[in-house]
Amino acid sequence: MRWATRAGIHVDRTACAWLIRRFIDEQAEFVFVHDPDEVPDNATPFDMRGVELSHRAGDCTFETMLARYELDDPALRDIARIVHEADLDDERFDAPEARGLDVILRGLSMVVESDDEMLDLSGPLYDGLYEYRHRATMLGREPG
Amino acid sequence: MSETGGWVLLAYRLPREPSGPRLAVWRKLKRLGVAQLLDGLVGLPLDARNREQLEWIADDVAEAGGEASIWTAFPTTAGQERQLARAMRETVGEQYRAVAADARSAAGEGGARHRRTLSRLRRELARIARRDYFPPPEREEARAAVDALAQALTAEAVA
Repeated sequence: MRWATRAGIHVDRTACAWLIRRFIDEQAEFVFVHDPDEVPDNATPFDMRGVELSHRAGDCTFETMLARYELDDPALRDIARIVHEADLDDERFDAPEARGLDVILRGLSMVVESDDEMLDLSGPLYDGLYEYRHRATMLGREPG
Repeated sequence: MSETGGWVLLAYRLPREPSGPRLAVWRKLKRLGVAQLLDGLVGLPLDARNREQLEWIADDVAEAGGEASIWTAFPTTAGQERQLARAMRETVGEQYRAVAADARSAAGEGGARHRRTLSRLRRELARIARRDYFPPPEREEARAAVDALAQALTAEAVA
């Protein structure tokens, strides 16, 4: 399937793209647009104003996606809290990792050449974050 | 030196009632540290984050039955930009002064409850720093006062 989002991807869009590839559509292809009018007809838009998969009722797009695709996994919920705070910074959750994730991704976006490269580099970050939160859930504490 | 920077502007209008959404929008704008150009017209220095944050707020306005649009703009004179910057600097300056005052009075009192005061003030400093686009002199003063509080607590723990 094809998926479309705004170019210049940061935390919510990199996290959503990772989520899509890993849990929703392994063959996902991403298109990055500068204007909502550029979204191809056969692509599912996300994290754009006025589309279904976007910010909703105070949730960030990653949270909207978990609800929409019924992904009920405690490690993903933990990532959702972190992404929410990194994206919205509204202190709805206590997620101290958020500030670090935001800074790392902002820095990455300054050195990459394209949104595709940004996806390639941020993917393993979320793989690691997922593994960490997954083990934390299993152990009932933060892994050392 | 007449070159001015880019700004992202949000023009919006919300129904007066119910007051809930108006208040929620106002709180979000305040948190972002927007410059108020006119009633219903606010701006921030242009960057990807600020543009995105204002776009989401524009959506909130539309959802609440209001009207909103987002623009990028350049002030035509440096003086116009200085005026905006001055107003923003004064607002965060006041916020830094409040942090410095709290830190000083906590350092003067000592006592265990001030460990929580220290974390609260550090969080508040970080919050202000995120909307501090034109740093005022009060920033250093507030940081120094919070550092002094941290040192006072450490000294107390050692004693």
